[in-house]
Amino acid sequence: MKKVIIIGFLGVIAYYLLSAFASVPFGADLIKGVKDFYLDKSPNDLKVANVVTSIVVNFRGFDTLGEVTVLFLASTALGSILYRRRSHDSGLNPQRTAPEASALVQTGAKVIFPFTIMLGAYIFIHGHLTPGGGFQGGAIIATGFLLMLVSYRKFFIEHNALTWIEAIAGSTFVILGLLGLVYANNHNFLENFLPAGKLNDLLSGGIIGIIYVAVGFKVGAEITGILDTLLTVKETGLDPEEN
Amino acid sequence: MQILNYIGYFLVSIGAAFLFLGGLGILRMPDLYTRLQAGTKASTLGAMSTILGIGFMQPEWMVKTIIIVIFIAIANPLSSHALARGSHKAHQLPYLKDENVGDAYEEEIENLQKNQKEEDK
Repeated sequence: MKKVIIIGFLGVIAYYLLSAFASVPFGADLIKGVKDFYLDKSPNDLKVANVVTSIVVNFRGFDTLGEVTVLFLASTALGSILYRRRSHDSGLNPQRTAPEASALVQTGAKVIFPFTIMLGAYIFIHGHLTPGGGFQGGAIIATGFLLMLVSYRKFFIEHNALTWIEAIAGSTFVILGLLGLVYANNHNFLENFLPAGKLNDLLSGGIIGIIYVAVGFKVGAEITGILDTLLTVKETGLDPEEN
Repeated sequence: MQILNYIGYFLVSIGAAFLFLGGLGILRMPDLYTRLQAGTKASTLGAMSTILGIGFMQPEWMVKTIIIVIFIAIANPLSSHALARGSHKAHQLPYLKDENVGDAYEEEIENLQKNQKEEDK
């Protein structure tokens, strides 16, 4: 009897969903219109060479803000569960249980590390010109820090500095969006209010470049923080009584 | 220009041959260490030669290809060294036809540690 009622309810819901979706036009023509809009508007009005970036940061900038927030929440949740106050609070000297990497790996890591950071910075600074952007650049920067973390047992990251970088980068994103409410033509959140510049210039695309630099810093700091937290938990153990 | 092109073709074919041998080695070798040897030594030279050859074919990319070659020269042997050392520390045994050969690397490490202890005393 219960099952029959459930099936009946599902049928009613399915009927109304179907009738609602049946009234929405669907098909290739509609999508083609959206594509043409993006392909026409992004190089001509916004002067952004990378159409994907212009969609992600400008047309769907609010969505990207949500994604950055999700990453921030994940990093904060992980930190609040796993991160333990070290050195100055508990008196424990932070140490990793993993054995020391060999001298070759350490020297190589020292050589490669600055270039990894440079590549990441290049990718997020040129996010509106070349493939890639804030998320990718930030992830590359975090890879550089991971290389140093696994090579050197005494390489620790200052979590206060990471928090400040995250805070400044995140508020830059939101403040730029709010300034769009005041100064942009249509007074929309995250609308471009700076001069668009020339296509293929470094200083083009208005707020897109600035937002991607902020996103790059934020993602790099967050993933680095996550990696450091995960590696540091291993060394002191997860015993809460110990502290 | 034409000569540069031919040098490029030559380097790319050498690189392709070495990459093929590296892949064959990974497929045919019996254990981790010999596979690492085949995979890294052959593919380091293969990748470097292929990329340098492309630099000769397109002279405006030459600087970029040289930077990539330097990066491969630093990173590729390093990563194989780290992998081999890590797997030895994880007690990954090499393939031996004669069981009584012993582990020369382990003996070397033990000797080094003994010497260091004596020096400390």
